[in-house]
Amino acid sequence: MYKDNFLIIWVVVVGLTVVMFEADAQSKAADFTLRFKNTANGNSLVLLDSTYKNTFGESYQVTKLKYYISNIHLTGKQSNYKSKEVFLLNAAGSDSATFQLKPGIYTELRFMLGVDSILNCSGAQDGALDPLNGMFWTWNSGYVYFKMEGYSTSSTADLQRIEHHIGGYRGINKADRQIELTLKEPIVIKDGDTKAIFIQVDLDKYWQGKSDIKIAENALIMFPGELAKKSADNFSGMFSIISIK
Amino acid sequence: MLKLKVIISFLLFAAVSLFIIAAGKKDRDDIYKTTPLEFKIPKGWPKPTVDFFKKNKLTEEGFLLGKKIFYDSRLSKDGEVSCAGCHQPFGAFATFDHDLSHGVSNSFTTRNAPALMNLAWMIDFHWDGGVNHLEIQPLGPLTAPNEMGITLDSALMILKADSAYYRMFNNAFGNPAITSQRMLKALAQFTGSLITSNSKYDRVMNGLDTFSNFEKKGYVHFKNNCASCHKEPLFTDNSFRNNGMLLNRFKDIGRQRITALSSDSLKFKVPSLRNIQLTFPYMHDGSIFSVPQVIDHYIAKTNAPQIGLDSVLRKPIVLNKLQKNELIYFLYTLTDTVFTKNKRFAPDGPVYFKH
Ligand code: HEC
Ligand code: HEC
Repeated sequence: MYKDNFLIIWVVVVGLTVVMFEADAQSKAADFTLRFKNTANGNSLVLLDSTYKNTFGESYQVTKLKYYISNIHLTGKQSNYKSKEVFLLNAAGSDSATFQLKPGIYTELRFMLGVDSILNCSGAQDGALDPLNGMFWTWNSGYVYFKMEGYSTSSTADLQRIEHHIGGYRGINKADRQIELTLKEPIVIKDGDTKAIFIQVDLDKYWQGKSDIKIAENALIMFPGELAKKSADNFSGMFSIISIK
Repeated sequence: MLKLKVIISFLLFAAVSLFIIAAGKKDRDDIYKTTPLEFKIPKGWPKPTVDFFKKNKLTEEGFLLGKKIFYDSRLSKDGEVSCAGCHQPFGAFATFDHDLSHGVSNSFTTRNAPALMNLAWMIDFHWDGGVNHLEIQPLGPLTAPNEMGITLDSALMILKADSAYYRMFNNAFGNPAITSQRMLKALAQFTGSLITSNSKYDRVMNGLDTFSNFEKKGYVHFKNNCASCHKEPLFTDNSFRNNGMLLNRFKDIGRQRITALSSDSLKFKVPSLRNIQLTFPYMHDGSIFSVPQVIDHYIAKTNAPQIGLDSVLRKPIVLNKLQKNELIYFLYTLTDTVFTKNKRFAPDGPVYFKH
């Protein structure tokens, strides 16, 4: 019994070694990073201490900014990259999503701001989706895709709070949004490269884009529905490429 | 470059081989092994709509871990409230004789604690169906300020402070890491195993017993008036309906809170009627105290329908005193003492319940 297992494992190891060499001979994947730079009023976002103004002249501070990026998709000439991996970006934590990309020339970059519907209703998850990250609603299940909290003198809420918890995976209340970024020039990945795309996430565009989000009217957005969808409609305008290095 | 790769590969190869040989020599017993549990579907019951145990394999070790967590009152702000504090085994896992339940620091829930049973056949959880999966349900009570009132972080810290948990997580999952996912999966193994299918009704359906004349007549009243929502054999069709309950002092709008649709106003999940004899008081806010009063509620509501009342209840229910009693006798055949007295579901030691 034990001998049989040993033989099988031996064969697998030999097989894997061969496959490794084959794959190796072709190309070596590169470490590829999407690095997100949150900005407000043209400056890098500083939590808590800085005061910003939105286009409606409402001033605000941000104490918390977290969002999910997933389903990253790069379309290339030789090969495509498509992954269901979910990354949690946090202004007070990780600012990047790193993954392996095969050498080639890529012309389109797309991802989702949000979490796949199915992952919203498949039970206890771990990693980026661990409820410990504070991005899961307990009374109306589902992930908060985008969470911004802070204060504003325009807020009518208790303690002049702003709490925007944007999410929703069911039917008409879906709040995940596709973000498509225009690449001025293709991304060229060579053997063993490490490359990063710097992406601006502009809060100015969050308040005004397809919809107007005035703090005076919407200090608290806490559950899926019309308001959350209006906010989500502004997501795509917030993202743009700064540089590729 | 290639030379280096060849060398590395050979070293790797050698290392793996050595590892395999070493592992083979070790005593087989200390390799992680769980005891699989079979999820038995009672005779004549449908298959669950969602297979909660597909990606969370039921094992004896996982079940026992889940049970320990369920009865552990340290997992609360004041150290006094466990899941079982509100879901009491002697009350068929509802809060015995309470309209609302006690949370930490003299707080109260705003809804009646449902009896935990046959959860594996449910699709949505809570009275408004806001919770979409059995595994993540405990996040609600653990963190709600009027239930257990702690953060998920501190819950994990409490588990990590007890060496017994390391052993049990190790037994259930192969290494002692205590994570939220594992805690939740273990809890779901316990709660999902709370199956009640040994009532007199079940024995009669399986040809092992017979209804009395009273019960038999009550069964007919039940099929005529109640069975379309309280569908056999689970005694719920898992839908959300307005059965005539009014807006209460907590302004609880039910399903509408989740869907934001005004058409869902005052709709609540149809509860199972199994063990109804033990789970008084009734309805989402525990505002109806006895089964006879529930029947009177249905008679009154169907004879004077308000806006929003479910269409099924728009046909007047007519039952005289005797017939009401017959219906009650039938409903009491749904009591399953094999379930409530099942040692497997009971705590291992004495447990304190706050009242
Ligand atoms: C303070 C009392 C209290 C505590 C403690 C409590 N529950 Fe509950 N439980 C409730 C109430 C009340 C509801 C109904 C909630 C609602 O509908 O909004 C409920 C609902 C549930 C449900 C859904 C049942 C259904 O039929 O939809 C499950 C499952 C459950 N609880 C499991 C647990 C577990 C596991 C724990 C421990 C982690 C726990 N409960 C702790 C009071 C409590
Ligand atoms: C239109 C669907 C429908 C019909 C028909 C119906 N019920 Fe209900 N029943 C419900 C709903 C929905 C609830 C929960 C309402 C709430 O919590 O506010 C409920 C709750 C109950 C409860 C309380 C259970 C608990 O655990 O709190 C009892 C008992 C009950 N029904 C008995 C009956 C009987 C007896 C009949 C027949 C005379 C009947 N029902 C007919 C939908 C229905």
